[in-house]
Amino acid sequence: MNVQRLLDIYAIMERLQREGAKGFALCTVAAEFTAFDGAGIALISDDDALTSLCTSDVASGALMELELALGEGPMVDASRGDASEDTDLRETTSSEWAVYRAEAVALGARAVFAYPIRLGAIRFGALSFYRTSPGPLDAQQSSDAYLIASVIGRAILAKQAGGSLVGLAEELDGESTLDFRVHQAAGMLAVQGTLSVKDALILLRAHAFGVGRELSDLAERVVTGKTYFDSNTGEWIDDKAKERDER
Amino acid sequence: MNRESLLIATLVELADNLVDDYDVIDVLTVLAHRCVEAVDVDAAGVMLASPNGELQFVASSSESMTVLELFQIQTNEGPCVDCYKDGLAITNHALSEADGRWPLFTPRALALGFRAVHSLPMRLRGRTIGALNLFRTHQGTLTDDDVVVVQGLADVATIAILQHRSSLDASTLNAQLNNALNSRIIIEQAKGMICQSTGCDMDEAFNRLRAHARNHNEGLTSLATQLVSKSITAHDLDEWVKVISP
Repeated sequence: MNVQRLLDIYAIMERLQREGAKGFALCTVAAEFTAFDGAGIALISDDDALTSLCTSDVASGALMELELALGEGPMVDASRGDASEDTDLRETTSSEWAVYRAEAVALGARAVFAYPIRLGAIRFGALSFYRTSPGPLDAQQSSDAYLIASVIGRAILAKQAGGSLVGLAEELDGESTLDFRVHQAAGMLAVQGTLSVKDALILLRAHAFGVGRELSDLAERVVTGKTYFDSNTGEWIDDKAKERDER
Repeated sequence: MNRESLLIATLVELADNLVDDYDVIDVLTVLAHRCVEAVDVDAAGVMLASPNGELQFVASSSESMTVLELFQIQTNEGPCVDCYKDGLAITNHALSEADGRWPLFTPRALALGFRAVHSLPMRLRGRTIGALNLFRTHQGTLTDDDVVVVQGLADVATIAILQHRSSLDASTLNAQLNNALNSRIIIEQAKGMICQSTGCDMDEAFNRLRAHARNHNEGLTSLATQLVSKSITAHDLDEWVKVISP
């Protein structure tokens, strides 16, 4: 994979972290990394409503408010699952988001791009960008946008699992989003704990943190039955007998 | 069925599948099964690259944990990674202890009983989007004809990824790759739920999901999404009965 671009993201994160002692905004990382004019992140709450997490500049903030107020636009679409873009808001042939378009142009945007932040069926929210000039993305910018959306997804998961954004780059560096055992374990845990799969994944992540295990190691233990969650007591149980059987 | 009849049947099956709103993972699973039948291999699977070039398993002829593990290792190294990076086929690579080419992959593959691997690139207008991986439990060679057949199936797999062929710019292709990869994650989440609810193994969970989707003419991903979002439960799925072919 293109490891260099991932390292570039971590380098931006670490620099911003050093500069602002209280942490950093993921939107600033996203905008700087992709060289768009601005970025915004919205999260989906449990009742399916979108709320703003952060925006990188004044115009992004106004565009975010606009979308949330109207309930239409690229970010709203992306939050439902599919990436969405308009490469020229003034010359569009589409009849979608007519009100949004006119207002967005008035706020200074000329092209908008939005990406889902998700892990399988778990929807965390959406990442949106704007540009003051029209035109499609080249292959690199498009890949970069997906990459940063994926990193932000993991950052949000880490945050919701009680982690801190400080030192996040270091932590994200060691893990893959694509480990099938993590997703299987989240599914199993959702049934064990009568949780949504999203909450199950957050719980899994939080427990991995808490006991100092790699997420994939804990997932492997859940999938093989060596560790399970007791929903009655709210406790994690390590099945010692199962471990002995295997030796 | 001889190979010619099998290939014709496969093409008809795919032509049938590729109309309407088909499910990418399901079509790729069909292809993986047909590879195993068409040439002398024991397992086949497809790995796709994320827009950033990270390889991920998406479909296989077997959903056993051991086969999935061999794909998981290949997110780091292995024949798929090399094939994807170079855009060149790797055929008839015999696995041996002495072979230091893939220090993580080779010992695991050997331990699981595999003796030879092949990997064929999935190419689209100069861009490689993934690789088709074939495993064999005995050494020996795929003939030139075999390679033509499986490369043909890899090309069909590539076409299957592109659900909207009207436009093929970078954004559209990236969106489709991302959707295919995300579909696989949804299916893994659903498999976990089915296993925990019904006490079956992951292999059976997938077969049950797929059988139900087919019986009810639903997309595999759409059915998995309904499970994960809890609009249906694992107990609502049809029973799956393993058919042992004569």
